[in-house]
Amino acid sequence: MGLVDKGRMPAPLTKLFNMSRSYSLWVYQWGLACCAIEMGAAFGSPRYDVMRLGVIPLPASPRQADFVCVSGTVTDKMAPAVKRLWEQMPEPKYAISMGSCANCGGPYWDSYSVTKGVDQIIPIDVYVPGCPPRPEALLEGVVLLQQRIKNEDMQAKWKGDEFTTLQATRAAERGELSAGEPTGQTTHDISTDPQPIPERDRPQPIVVGGGPIE
Amino acid sequence: MIDLSRSSWVVAPLSDTETTDADAPQALPGDGLREGIVDDLRQRIGDALIDSHIVPNDDLFVRVATDSWADTAGALKTAGFTWFSFLSAIDWMPSPYGKGEEDPTVEKEPIDMTIKQGVCGGETRMQVFARLTDLDRHVGITIKADVPDDKPVVDSWTGSFAGANWHERECHEMFGIGFNGHPDLRNMYLPGEFEGHPMKKDFPLLARMVKPWPGIVDVEPMPVQDEEEAGGDES
Amino acid sequence: MMSDRQQLSYIASQAADARLNVELETEGMTLNIGPQHPATHGTLRIIARLDGEQVIWAEPSAGYMHRGYEKLTEVRTFPQVTTLINRIDWLGSFANEVPFILAAEKLMEIEAPPRAQVIRTILFELSRIANVSLFLGDLGVQMGAITPVFLAFRDREYVLNLIEGATGGRFHPNFDRIGGLKDDLPKGWIDETKQVMKKLIGFCDEIEDLLFGNEIFQSRMRGIGVIPADIAKEYGLSGANLRASGVDYDLRRDQDIALSYDKADFKVWTHPDGDSWARCWIRLQETRESCKIVQQLIEQIPAGPVMTKVPRIIKVPEGEAYVSTENPLGEMGYYVVSKGDLGPFRVKIRSASFNNISITPWVLKGVYVPDIITILASLYFILGDIDR
Repeated sequence: MGLVDKGRMPAPLTKLFNMSRSYSLWVYQWGLACCAIEMGAAFGSPRYDVMRLGVIPLPASPRQADFVCVSGTVTDKMAPAVKRLWEQMPEPKYAISMGSCANCGGPYWDSYSVTKGVDQIIPIDVYVPGCPPRPEALLEGVVLLQQRIKNEDMQAKWKGDEFTTLQATRAAERGELSAGEPTGQTTHDISTDPQPIPERDRPQPIVVGGGPIE
Repeated sequence: MIDLSRSSWVVAPLSDTETTDADAPQALPGDGLREGIVDDLRQRIGDALIDSHIVPNDDLFVRVATDSWADTAGALKTAGFTWFSFLSAIDWMPSPYGKGEEDPTVEKEPIDMTIKQGVCGGETRMQVFARLTDLDRHVGITIKADVPDDKPVVDSWTGSFAGANWHERECHEMFGIGFNGHPDLRNMYLPGEFEGHPMKKDFPLLARMVKPWPGIVDVEPMPVQDEEEAGGDES
Repeated sequence: MMSDRQQLSYIASQAADARLNVELETEGMTLNIGPQHPATHGTLRIIARLDGEQVIWAEPSAGYMHRGYEKLTEVRTFPQVTTLINRIDWLGSFANEVPFILAAEKLMEIEAPPRAQVIRTILFELSRIANVSLFLGDLGVQMGAITPVFLAFRDREYVLNLIEGATGGRFHPNFDRIGGLKDDLPKGWIDETKQVMKKLIGFCDEIEDLLFGNEIFQSRMRGIGVIPADIAKEYGLSGANLRASGVDYDLRRDQDIALSYDKADFKVWTHPDGDSWARCWIRLQETRESCKIVQQLIEQIPAGPVMTKVPRIIKVPEGEAYVSTENPLGEMGYYVVSKGDLGPFRVKIRSASFNNISITPWVLKGVYVPDIITILASLYFILGDIDR
């Protein structure tokens, strides 16, 4: 959009765009193993319906998808396909890593043919732990991703700026936050602190259920 | 012809040509069916049948000479064992790496590296074994054979059982055993650039060697001591 | 088999293809299906060389889900192996633990108490129902009929609720222990199971109406992918695939192991044709039989403990044992070699789908491209089972 490149977008317009983007997500289901069944149950079964959150689980092509949900074990033989899939997706794109195999290798951490975590290949926004995580846990991951999208500053993200949340860019303009200064917090719990804090670089990934990531 | 029907089961002490399970309770009737199968096999392949082990009314293991590995398949197929279950190998050497779960500060005990084969014995480090089932008599048989240490090649079973194709490919990839007469021996599971044969015991699991076992961490002192000191300061 | 009209049209299309190939010198095309594809049950890659629409040569390329189970079991203790092998056949997970536990119990020469055996059998059959009901739903998706899979997911939730109520996990229950089970059944589970089994029999009837009576389904499945009985036995096909070729062999009835199938009265279904339709139809009937088995066994659970006396740290004595059971996918077995340690020395996992899929190069010669998908759907595999 032309508005994004030229000057500043007014804040209400950014918020409107962010809200509409977060409530119309198309997810590409990259289901590999057992977590794929729970993902299918979350996305396709009438009990844990994901469409009520605005997420459409139906695109069969990565080129039409907003985010990808990697669920299941990634092996070294499969890793190039994951990388190629990620590169095929158009920006803006996000990734959810579902299940402990995709997070860190899981129960097969010592295997000779398993990639210990899909974040070695693609950057992840939300980690959903579990083996397999309940469909409700995956839905919470989707909700957290939606909250992150609502706080994004699209212009900064397109330009490749350092701060990409709305609060961070405004704070940087006011001079409250300077480059190179650590913010001192890696994640936060939305239930206790409703105001998102400014973040450094690409926003730190969220883990469903809280807890810091080292 | 040997009468293999159930009515011919001998209720008598077991014959002394077969080894039996030493812990079996006494007064078990002899397993006439499985003994008959072993005798039948001995008639077909002769001296190649080196050893056999019967678990009465339960299971049957035989070991044959490496040269007649493929002939045994044909012989058993004509004897009625037409259903192919699997084919694989065992590496009898104990792993030199252990589990990687020990405390790295404590000195490791040396691991006993003697090679000791299992049921029906053996002379080499690696053995191939396969399993067939007779669907009519409801009997299964496990067949083992030694793999020569210097040149690990055996004959292929694909002549008798076409299903052995994939199993031999997997065995070749995991253990490095060659199969004579196999039409297409290439990797089954691993990517092309993979080096080594993973199932051999001297192939280490690198993740266990690189990362210390998470159970061994420095244990922090209990917080009770700090609170007592703080209480002493306040008062 | 195919009707005369179908056969005539098949011959006519073959002749037309032949004529076209003579007139136009076209090269064969290599088609790559997968590894990520909505129709393959996971990451199976099939490389097919085509001549027009017909397959000359097709080969599955497995290994995209190879996690190295057999190597991992060598560095784990027996209870840890139980946790790991849940994930081989990830739809009916309890069924994966049972043959391994039975092999370990055989080596230790103990038997689980009767109550544990009956509950094990009930959970085994419940996992079979959960597994095959998703197969029945997926069958529609392979052909473009999307509705049955929603019904399958909905009705599968009832069974998963039951398994979760008893074991604590929807799938991957990790409930079996050497010597029995981890816990006893909760209160009210038996009544709920009776209700759910009635619902599942209703689901089978619904799927039969929706799918199996459908003319399109029948014309796409009948006469396709015929596997004769002797070829099936050579390749080691098992489960419904073997019974669809006319071989009457079911490990639940023909084998004497420590599960309580002798207490229930059930029929073993076979079909003489050996085509895709027979395989799917047998699985439908087997789901109904499973429901009936559960209904019978539920009435007969004996009182007593669920765990025999075993030492806290289990060391299985030296020896080798092989136990196989009739799993939802076929015959699954574990050849356990133990040296008296805390963990096994070598475990060979005989998985059903490995043999079931090894027949694809043979069966896919000369079929049309859409038939590749339906034949694979009818053979029914789970990638974790092929690749281990």
